Amino acid sequence: MALFITKRLLMALATVLVVAVLAFLLVHAMPGSPGAVSLGAGASQDAIDAVNQRLGWNDPLLAQFFRWLGDAVQGNLGVSLIDGRSVSADLANRLPVTAALAAGATVLSAVLGIGLGVTAAVRGGVVDRAIGGFVGLLVALPAFWIGVIFVYLFAVQASVFPATGYVPFEVSPQDWAMSLALPVLTLAVGGAAFIARQTRASMLEALQQEHIRTLRATATPTWKILYVHALRYASLPIVAGIALQFIGLFGGSVIAEQLFAMPGLGQAVQTSVSTHDAPAVQGVVVIATVVVVAVNLVLELATKFLDPKLRAS
Amino acid sequence: MIPSVAPAPADQAVPATAVQPKSGAKAAMTRFGSHRLFTSPGGVAGLVWLAALMAASLTAPLWLPFKTEDQDFTAVLSGPTAAHWLGTDELGRDILSRTFAAAAGTLGTSMITVIVGVGLGTILAMVAAAGGDRTDAIISRATEIMMSLPGTVIILAVIGAVGTNIPVVMAILGVLISAGIFRVILGQAKSLQSQLYVDAAKVDGVSPLGISIRHVLPGLTNTIVVQCALIFAVGMLIQAGLAFIGFGPPIPEPSWGGMIQGASQHVYDAPWLMVPTGAVLALTVLAANAVGNALGKAPNTTASHLPSAAARRQRMKSVKAAVGATASAPIPSQVVSAKGLLSVRNLSVGVDHGVRLVTDISFDVEPGTVLGLVGESGCGKTMTALSLLGLLPSGVSVAGGQILWNGTNLAASTDKDMEGIRGREIALISQEPMRALDPMFTVGYQLTAAIRRLRKVGKSEARKEAFSLLEKVGIVDAQRILKTYPHQISGGMAQRVAIALALSGRPRLLVADEPTTALDVTVQAEILSLLRALVKDTGMSVVMVTHDLGVVADICDQVAVMYAGQVVENGKTAAVLDNPRHPYTLALLAADPHTNAAEDMPERLATISGQVPQPKDWPTGCRFAARCQFAGSACTVPIPLLPSGASDGLVRCVKADELAVEGLEWVATEVPTHRLLEIVEKDLA
Repeated sequence: MALFITKRLLMALATVLVVAVLAFLLVHAMPGSPGAVSLGAGASQDAIDAVNQRLGWNDPLLAQFFRWLGDAVQGNLGVSLIDGRSVSADLANRLPVTAALAAGATVLSAVLGIGLGVTAAVRGGVVDRAIGGFVGLLVALPAFWIGVIFVYLFAVQASVFPATGYVPFEVSPQDWAMSLALPVLTLAVGGAAFIARQTRASMLEALQQEHIRTLRATATPTWKILYVHALRYASLPIVAGIALQFIGLFGGSVIAEQLFAMPGLGQAVQTSVSTHDAPAVQGVVVIATVVVVAVNLVLELATKFLDPKLRAS
Repeated sequence: MIPSVAPAPADQAVPATAVQPKSGAKAAMTRFGSHRLFTSPGGVAGLVWLAALMAASLTAPLWLPFKTEDQDFTAVLSGPTAAHWLGTDELGRDILSRTFAAAAGTLGTSMITVIVGVGLGTILAMVAAAGGDRTDAIISRATEIMMSLPGTVIILAVIGAVGTNIPVVMAILGVLISAGIFRVILGQAKSLQSQLYVDAAKVDGVSPLGISIRHVLPGLTNTIVVQCALIFAVGMLIQAGLAFIGFGPPIPEPSWGGMIQGASQHVYDAPWLMVPTGAVLALTVLAANAVGNALGKAPNTTASHLPSAAARRQRMKSVKAAVGATASAPIPSQVVSAKGLLSVRNLSVGVDHGVRLVTDISFDVEPGTVLGLVGESGCGKTMTALSLLGLLPSGVSVAGGQILWNGTNLAASTDKDMEGIRGREIALISQEPMRALDPMFTVGYQLTAAIRRLRKVGKSEARKEAFSLLEKVGIVDAQRILKTYPHQISGGMAQRVAIALALSGRPRLLVADEPTTALDVTVQAEILSLLRALVKDTGMSVVMVTHDLGVVADICDQVAVMYAGQVVENGKTAAVLDNPRHPYTLALLAADPHTNAAEDMPERLATISGQVPQPKDWPTGCRFAARCQFAGSACTVPIPLLPSGASDGLVRCVKADELAVEGLEWVATEVPTHRLLEIVEKDLA
C-alpha cells in the first residue's frame, strides 16, 4: 500500500511537470511577445523591446523555464501582462469559485447518477427503458444549452435563482448557495447521465455474480442484497467513474462560468487566452492540473481502499 | 466540457472475449456488426439523420432559401414563419439556412477528432498488446497521465497558441481523447494477441506488424467503429462548446455553438431561438450515439442472479394465477407430509416463452439420504437443483409439475414464501466456492449475518456459533479464518466455509451443485467425507449434482441419471451402478476411468461420440438415440420411464430388457487407425 501511494504520488508529480512544460511551450508559441501584449497596439518597438528585456523573454528557453519553475514552486506565478496583478493572488481568489462549482456538480451528479442507475438496474422493465432513454437524451444535450434553458426556466420564468453572478460565501452564505445553484445544476446534468450509465452497468454486473445466489440461498432480504452487497461490489467502478467525471466537470466549468458570469478559473482561462496574457494562461493551466490530479489521487486511493484485495496487500 | 470517454460503461461496450476473425464478405459484414445496426430502429434512424444532414449541408447552396449572411430587417428575431421556417436571429438571418450551412463544417471537423483519436488510440493499443509488458507499461503510464489532465483547459491554451484554427484544435483534441480509446481497446487487443492462432502465426514467422494488421485489427473492427460513432458525438459537442465561448469560426460564418450563443443572448426576448439551434445539435449527437450503441450492444450472456423488480412482479402474478387455477381444481392426492421429505413430480423447467431445459422429472429424497443427479454438462442437473430453492437464473422458470417439500408445493410459492424456506430448510452449496462467497466482506461477517438472520440470535451468540460451525466443517484455526476475506483462503477452505454458511440455518435438505468439481483430488475426498459425516450427524438429506460416478458411488444412496433434461434411469446406487440398464448409464460407466479396476482396465476407455443435443434440438423419441450404439427404429417414438426390474429402479429405454438379457456392453469405438496398429502390434508381440 505504501509503495502504491508513493508510485501514485510520483505519477502525479510527473503529470504536473509534463503539463508545466507543455504550458510553457504553448505560451511561447502564442502570437505576440509579452511586451507587445502588455503595452498594447501603438507601442513603440523600443518600449516593447525594453519590456521583453525586463521579463527575460530573450533568454534561452531552458533558463526561462527553470526560472518560472523556481518561482512557481515558491508560489509565485508571475504577473499578468494586462493589468500587472499577481497571477497567484488572482488565481487564489478564483479557485474557491471553481472548486465549489466542480465539487458541487460532482456530488450532485454522483447522487443523481447513482440514484438513477441503481433504480434502472433494480427495477428493470419499463422503468429501466424510461431511465435509459432519459439518460441518453441528457448525454446528447450540450451543457451550455441546458444552462440557458435553466436560466430561462428558473430565472426568467420563475425568479427562483439569480440568472448570473456570484456572491462570495463570506458575504452571504445563503446568496452564495443561490448563486451556485444554476451553474451546479447545469454542470451536473451531463455528469449525472454518465454516472447513471456507469452505475447501471456495474450494478447489473454485480447482480450476475455467483455470490448473489449464495446470499439469496441464505434468505438475505432483497433490499440488503441490492443496497449492501451488490452496491458495495459495484462501488469500485462507480467511484472510478466519479473520478473521471470530476476531470470533465472541472473543465466544464469554463462554460458554466462564462454562461453564469462566475469569477472562477474557467473565466480566467477564457479571458487570458483571448488577451494572450501568457503568465496567466501558464499559471491557470498548471493550477487546474494540480487540482484535478490531486482530487483524482484522493479518489483513486479511495477506490483502492474500497477493494479488500488491494487493501490487504 | 471534455466528457470522459473511457472506460466505457458496459452497456455501450466491448465484448470482453475476442471473436476469431472470419473470412469472406459475409463474415466481414458480421464483424462490422452491420446486421445489428440495421436491425436496431435507433441505429437506422441515426444513420439516416446523419446521412441526410450531410447531403443537405453539402448541397446547401443549391436549395437553401437564403444565403447565410442575408439579413432581413423586417423580420428580426422572428419565430417560425412561411418565409423563415425556423425563424430568424437578431440580424434577421434565416436560422434554417445557417443551421444547414454550418452542418458540413461541423461534421467534417468532428471527423478529424475521430480519425486522430481513434486512430492513435488503436495504434497505441495494438503496439502495447504486441510489444510485451515493458512497452505496455510505458504506454499505459503515458495515457494515464493524459487522462488525468484537465482537457478543456489544455485545449484553450492550444487555442491561445495557434488561434481558432478549428482543424488543428480538433486534431489536438483527438490526441487527448486517444488515451481513453486506448484504455477501451487495450483489453480486447491483448486477448486477441494471446489467441492460439496468433501464436501459430508467430511460429510461422509472421512479423509483429503483420500479426497486428492481419489478426488483431480485424477482431477490433467492431469496437473501433463503435468508438468512432461515440467520439464523433463528443467532437461535435466540444466543438460547439468552444464556439459557444467565442472560440469558433470567424464571426459571420455560422456555427452551431455560435448560434446557440447568439440565441442565449436573447433568451429573455426571443426564447424560441434556443429550440432549433439546440435541437439540431442534440439530434445529431443523439444520432451518432444511437449508431454507436446499436453497433456496440453486446448480447447479455450472463443472467442476473437476482430477478429485477419487474421480473419479480411478473412472477408474483403468474404464481397467483396458478394458485387461483389449482384452488378450483382438486389438489393431487399424492401429497405426502413426512418431515424432511422432498418429492419432485413431473417437474419441467424452461426458458420463459422458450424451450424447455428440463422435462417431466420426478424423484423422491427420503430424510437422511443422499440422492445423486448425474449426467454430462447440459443435461439440466443444475437447473433441476436450483429450482428446488427457487433460485433459477432470471429468464428461466418452472414450467410445470410440482416440487413438494413437506407437502408444500415450492414450485407455486412466491419469492417471499421461498425466503422462509431458503437457508432454514433447504440450503445450497455451489461449484465454485471462491465465487460463491462475497469478495467484499469477511468470512466472519458473512457467517454471522446469516446465523443472526436464520437463527434469530444476537450478535455475540452468532459469533460464537460461527466459530463452532467452522470447527464443525473441519477448519482448525477458525478464529483467523473468520477475519479473512475470501480471496485470502484456498479453494478447499472456501468450500468448507461455504458449507458452514449453508449449515447456518440448520437446513433439512442440502442441495450441492458439483461441490467438489473445482477442487483438487485430495481436497475432493475430504469434502466428500465431511458431507457424509454431516448427513450422519444431522440427519439432513442431500441432493448431490455431479458428473462423477465415483462421487455417486462414494456418497449417494439413490441415483438419478439425467440425459438431455430427462431422467433416463434411477434407483438405488448399488443397483444402478452394478447393473446398469440404460445405454447412457452403461456408456458413462464404461467411460469412467475410476470404475474399472486396474487389472481389467481396457486398452482404451470408451467414449460417447457426439455431444448432448441443445434443448431446441431434442427429438420426440429417445433423446439419446443419436449417440446410442444400440439405437434402432423403435427408438423414434417417445419412451416412457418403466420399472427396470432391478428393485424399485426405473429406466427409459425400449431395449433395456433386450440389453440385459444379452448382457451387451458399451464398447470403445472409432479407434484412430494409428492406435489400431499399435494395438495389433502389441497383440502380435
